[in-house]
Amino acid sequence: MILYDYILSPSCYRVRLLAALIGRRLDLRAVDLHPGQEHLSEPMLALNPAGTIPVLTDDGLVLTESTAILTYLAAHDAPAWLGEDTPAMRARVAQWLAFAQRLTDSAGAARAHDMLLAPGDIDALRGQATQALRELEAALSAARRRGESFLAGNRPTIADIACFPHVALAPDGGLPLDPYPSIRLWMRAIRALDGFIEMPGIHRLHELKPEPGPMPEVIRKEQA
Amino acid sequence: MGMMGAACSDPCASAPTPDTGDTVPTDWTPAALSDDIPVASAAPGQLGPHDLAIWRSASGRIAAWADRCPHRGMRLSHGFVRGERLSCIYHGWGYGEGGQCVRIPAHPELTPPEAIRVPVFSVAEASGVIWVAEEAPDSPPPEFPGVVAFRSLQVSAAPEALAAALGGTGTVIETVLGGAQVVALIQPLRDGAAGLHLLAPEGSDPAALDALSAEVEALRRRLEAAEEMTA
Amino acid sequence: MSELGAMRDQWYPVGMTKQLTAQGRDTLLMGEPIRVALAGGAPSVTDGTGRALPVIDRFGHVWTSLGQPEKDLFTIPEVDQPGRRLVDVGVCRVRCSPLRAVENFLDIAHFPFVHTDILGSEPHTEVARYEVEIRDDVDEVWATKVKFFQPQAAKSAEGGITTDYMYRVCAPTCSVLYKTCPPKPGEWDVIALFVQPLTETLCDVWPYMALYDDDAEMTDLIHFQQMIFVQDRSVLENQLPALLPLDPGREIPTRADMTSIAYRRWLKRHGFTYGAQLVAA
Repeated sequence: MILYDYILSPSCYRVRLLAALIGRRLDLRAVDLHPGQEHLSEPMLALNPAGTIPVLTDDGLVLTESTAILTYLAAHDAPAWLGEDTPAMRARVAQWLAFAQRLTDSAGAARAHDMLLAPGDIDALRGQATQALRELEAALSAARRRGESFLAGNRPTIADIACFPHVALAPDGGLPLDPYPSIRLWMRAIRALDGFIEMPGIHRLHELKPEPGPMPEVIRKEQA
Repeated sequence: MGMMGAACSDPCASAPTPDTGDTVPTDWTPAALSDDIPVASAAPGQLGPHDLAIWRSASGRIAAWADRCPHRGMRLSHGFVRGERLSCIYHGWGYGEGGQCVRIPAHPELTPPEAIRVPVFSVAEASGVIWVAEEAPDSPPPEFPGVVAFRSLQVSAAPEALAAALGGTGTVIETVLGGAQVVALIQPLRDGAAGLHLLAPEGSDPAALDALSAEVEALRRRLEAAEEMTA
Repeated sequence: MSELGAMRDQWYPVGMTKQLTAQGRDTLLMGEPIRVALAGGAPSVTDGTGRALPVIDRFGHVWTSLGQPEKDLFTIPEVDQPGRRLVDVGVCRVRCSPLRAVENFLDIAHFPFVHTDILGSEPHTEVARYEVEIRDDVDEVWATKVKFFQPQAAKSAEGGITTDYMYRVCAPTCSVLYKTCPPKPGEWDVIALFVQPLTETLCDVWPYMALYDDDAEMTDLIHFQQMIFVQDRSVLENQLPALLPLDPGREIPTRADMTSIAYRRWLKRHGFTYGAQLVAA
């Protein structure tokens, strides 16, 4: 499987992250989106007339749209990530994949504007992103009340992976996450998953690694 | 009119002049819900003009410090908690009890000078709420029997407007919302915003809590629409 | 709001030469609107009144000044060595003081925490003593004999190595670092950070590189450096106060920070204070 990829793209990171979590190796082809505009070059447009990345190719299959690629990877290698096989759960996952597009178009566009000088009505984008973040916060707080840590049940699914990147990187676009405690806890749960990989702008959870060497507090306690 | 009598003791009575996000209240200020800051985690908070790093150690001890590492000013609320220590994400400087720097990874053998310490705020937990103050007031923060922590939200409206919308004034408002007897705690934030920390009746069923959540969101929408029109 | 003071008469990067158009691009330089364009096939910079500003085309970027620079723009002789791959990394905008952006570039103690498992890893966090001087002949800050153990120091490195570094501040908002070059021991890979101050708390960062690496794709070289910079960006946007403190006050350095201490002293000596604060906050 070949992934046409850009290290700074949250949409591409959706795919890289799921692949890492399910143990699927991808052949990454770096696309010079910025500053080279390579996604709009003739060869890339021939592959995907929409001029977007990520694009996944697999033995003749060409897939665009990161949420579709997530669906393919999960179905191919790790169907539990599609969510419980009931009509309600499958629909819930689909709902969040659609919601993820609103995050791309609002928080993602705000980040591209603030960081990479992309054009856009930044106030409108931030307003739309804030609305989406509030909806996500309400849903995650309801999930917590049900004893669930993720968007579609109590295990992570592609719904979480689709929404996570643009939310985690929202501050890059001038959207602080301070007002959303349930989002913060959900992000921690995702970042603590086995096999999790970061992307630039998302720090490693250093707390998961023990402090190197004996901690002085521990030594003092042992001496007491 | 909010009923502030029975469940609320003296220290939470608001001062005659309304608090804004720029002045520091002398009473306890609600800052977060306990469940929102689990063991070994840190979160950002505010107290008047101060940015706070509110964090919980591995043993469950809550602390509220200035959100600024004395090294190069990085926000400590972005840091990581290992054991009883909060470390800065930038260079890994570790701070222990009382805000004292206990470790500088670039100089592992060095005992950090005592001068390197983070300013510490007073903090107390009661009834599932984390309260902060510059200096501990004489009385502990209020307890609220019969209610448990529900949700924290931010509202783009002045604290007084939020209080009025809930039918009361000041920091602690008991009212009925979405059919439930709730306790609403109001925290002044900067830039004309307010934090709302809600406590709902213990043992509420899930449907009732979902209805309450929807009601709070509706109240926020109305308030913010009204603020926009007067802006 | 600081006066521009001594920073008015310095050179600043304002665009990538390859990306210039006849129509031009509007941007800001220390609060002043400017337009960067291609006029008659050559880079041109004009201010808000249409007045032409001085222009230098060097290191793949367009440079200008709001004042009258006494000196020519600095040189980087390594750039002209045959076989070097010259990389325009692409602009990245950061909400921080331009001086904080440079100071972060000079720092290595953050490698294990911010560039985890790339430029550094716990427990290899110790910063050994190195040397720093302000070279009066060229009026630049230089740090030498800097070394740090790195798991993956460059696209061209295989496995962990102890990387040697030199750091150079050649203008108030420009720095060059020289690092161990695995394919050509004895030579240095050159990575530069050219920072355009838009305001005291907003800057456009233009990284540039001159490397010996015959194997990697250009896009991979670009992406590696963008990755490193964007990892720093989320720290830079969360430092308080926003303006770089130049007086001893609430920020406490250690021996690992000698380059940054020298940089702050050099800025203060010259009155380079746009993006800085002088009173301990």
